Amino acid sequence: MSLSFFWILSLSLLFAQLVLLLALARRKQKMSAKEQAITQQYEALSDTFSSYMVDPSDDRFIEEIRTNPHQTVVLERLLNGYVSVTKGGVKSPLVAKLSEDFLSAHYVRQLSHKNWAIRMNTLYYIEDFHMQSLQPVLKEKLGKSTQLDQETQQLIRTLASLDEPATISVLAKYPDAPVRLYTDVFKRLEEKTRLEELDTALRNENNNKALKHAAISYIGMSGLIAFLPRIEDELESEEGELRIQALKAILHLQYLTDPDSLVPFLQSPSWPERMYACRIAGKLQLSRFKENLSTLLGDPVWWVRYSAAEALVQFSDGDILLTHLSAHHPDRYARDMAAQWKSSLLGSEI
Amino acid sequence: MESFFQFLAYAIIAYMLFSSLSYLGFFLLAFGKVKREDKLDRRESTEDLLGNQNAFPVSILVPAYNEEVGVTSTVRSLLALEYPEKEIIVIDDGSKDGTSERMIKEFQMKQVPFAVRLHIETAEIVATYQSSIFPYIRLIKKANGGKADALNAGINLAAYPYFCAIDGDSILENDGLLKTMKPIIESDGQIIVVGGSVRIANGSTISRSKVEAIDLPKSPVVLMQIVEYFRAFLIGRLALSHLNILLIISGAFGVFNKERVIQAGGYNKNTVGEDMELIVRLHRLLREEKSRQRIEYIPDPVCWTEAPESLGVLRSQRVRWQRGLFETLWSHRKMMMNPKYGSIGLFSMPYFLLVELLGAVFEFVGYFLIFGGFFFSLIDTYTAAILFMVTIFYGSLISALAVLLEELTLHKYPKASHLVRLYLWALTETFWYRPLMVLWRVQGIFATFRKKAHWGDMKRKGIST
Repeated sequence: MSLSFFWILSLSLLFAQLVLLLALARRKQKMSAKEQAITQQYEALSDTFSSYMVDPSDDRFIEEIRTNPHQTVVLERLLNGYVSVTKGGVKSPLVAKLSEDFLSAHYVRQLSHKNWAIRMNTLYYIEDFHMQSLQPVLKEKLGKSTQLDQETQQLIRTLASLDEPATISVLAKYPDAPVRLYTDVFKRLEEKTRLEELDTALRNENNNKALKHAAISYIGMSGLIAFLPRIEDELESEEGELRIQALKAILHLQYLTDPDSLVPFLQSPSWPERMYACRIAGKLQLSRFKENLSTLLGDPVWWVRYSAAEALVQFSDGDILLTHLSAHHPDRYARDMAAQWKSSLLGSEI
Repeated sequence: MESFFQFLAYAIIAYMLFSSLSYLGFFLLAFGKVKREDKLDRRESTEDLLGNQNAFPVSILVPAYNEEVGVTSTVRSLLALEYPEKEIIVIDDGSKDGTSERMIKEFQMKQVPFAVRLHIETAEIVATYQSSIFPYIRLIKKANGGKADALNAGINLAAYPYFCAIDGDSILENDGLLKTMKPIIESDGQIIVVGGSVRIANGSTISRSKVEAIDLPKSPVVLMQIVEYFRAFLIGRLALSHLNILLIISGAFGVFNKERVIQAGGYNKNTVGEDMELIVRLHRLLREEKSRQRIEYIPDPVCWTEAPESLGVLRSQRVRWQRGLFETLWSHRKMMMNPKYGSIGLFSMPYFLLVELLGAVFEFVGYFLIFGGFFFSLIDTYTAAILFMVTIFYGSLISALAVLLEELTLHKYPKASHLVRLYLWALTETFWYRPLMVLWRVQGIFATFRKKAHWGDMKRKGIST
């Protein structure tokens, strides 16, 4: 290869780069001018938008947005701002009305856009604005999905936010569907549908483990005490993971009909069961288990020792117990743990 | 002898052309992913995690050595992080200044005898403290043992299943931890490490963990580091991460699965490149176990760091990086070209050896031959001229291309003038910045033989107001 070859190669690359640089700089200028215009219009419309959201009879905003050259982007930003600032804004009928009136036709087109990110954003916004009219289009799109990729997962979440219970049966078609996704669905469904679906999930007629785990976990996280007897039944389950989920839910629900049902878990060979049993005993202040907790302070697993000490702290005489155990427990690690929690108790009093 | 130099010149020309082509190949591989997520509304994609109880709690480790000036502001910025459950552990690695005292005073810390689990051996722990106002802020005061030792002490105290290590001089964006944890949460733990993209903060305005205005610094040395970052990031890390063979997660910011790190033995105290060494060891562990778990890198900028402005500090940083790279490749030489380690052994390790480590040596010889050819007839001037052209191609033109590619994909700098300035500075790279880097990287290789690990020196101006 000769010098002239490299000259030509370098000069052509430099020339091509300069052309690209000019094109990109021009694009950047245009984009920044457009962004500036959008920001200006957003700011100009903020007041009339706020007035409209407070009093819908003041329809100056509707007139202004109708003729706005950047109608979609400006309205999207205003609605997004409103939804994120106002608690419960997701269900605002005015947000739904504005988005249905001005954005639904655009969103139907966007849902089949070739750009993945645009399709994803559209799904997020439909969920945020609670656009019920798009439910059939989304259901049709979900029917065509063949894999549980990021887009299908968001599609399921968005549909669940529109109270579509079929999302659970669609999810069940995917054996690898994660527990977290089922929980996301439960979280979004309307209360009536949610309770029905939780009931079905606990019956577990289709033997869907992930669904049942999600139901137990959701019940615990959201404190649905009405399901307590069903959760307590799961303590008898033969499946270890279900028992752990049930213990975790009971810890969150902070109630246990028969405290004695905790005894086998305090002596369980499984350390997560011992750990949750300790935490429940502490949270529910089950003083009859103080002795078990003192013993578990010397458990071989750090997390069990930690939870036992944490549980002891919660009793009214926790400080006395821990002081005694930090000096007299036969296990060195138990003494250390008791000393740590005793100090934290002192710290919290300051 | 002349024919030897002549041969060497051709070998270096071939090497530079091959490396340039591999850079372009890497970029094409990463382009699809970056472009795909370009228009994604990041806020929307992470807001669901904020109230999600499935988000794993995270321990944030801040190793500090003589950081009395910045440590409390770093911790304050971490308090503002949006994340459902977190704890902050500052590890004072035997500072000679008032690092611990500042922490104790600012956050009203009380000494607490924590029952620390000794997963990893560390230098002696002098005391542990807990804040009375924010109980999830803790401080470990320990004997000096180096950054790796400090991080290991933090891992021992950490209560949560994931930890992130952040440098005392870096600022994490409010939603940075959420963005970084997202792949871990969504993969249900299949991803064990996520590296966040680190950006240079000099010139930009950062206030309360939020980037208020992105701008370019005035100093050419820092501008060139930005260009260098584009080159390394777009033409390298993304593609390697895509192939699950990425060997570097920046020391400035990364989230790790604690159990896996403990299994791997924690951070290595005997290298200055503890961040890269840990990643290689984790890869090694995964391959030996035939695990399907992954290490990932996200393109979104989540962490802002202060780049050195003085040549002296930049030199010591580069010497340290190169030394760390050498030590890592040497200590894991068993993996090199070993089919047992799959693409890591067969591709990634040789790539890091030939391009990242020895690249500096080849370039150094290249500059030597150009100089020798033009002034001392070491090689004929015609070959020297070709070598010179290829050096410009490999240095300036590829870096200038990286600037344009950044604009094409991520376009994080807002003004057209930023783009033009970065591009023009990139074109100057071969003539001043690159020779300096090459020289310091070669010095870094030699420095490996003078074993003495120490914390990097940096004169902090502070990046957040």
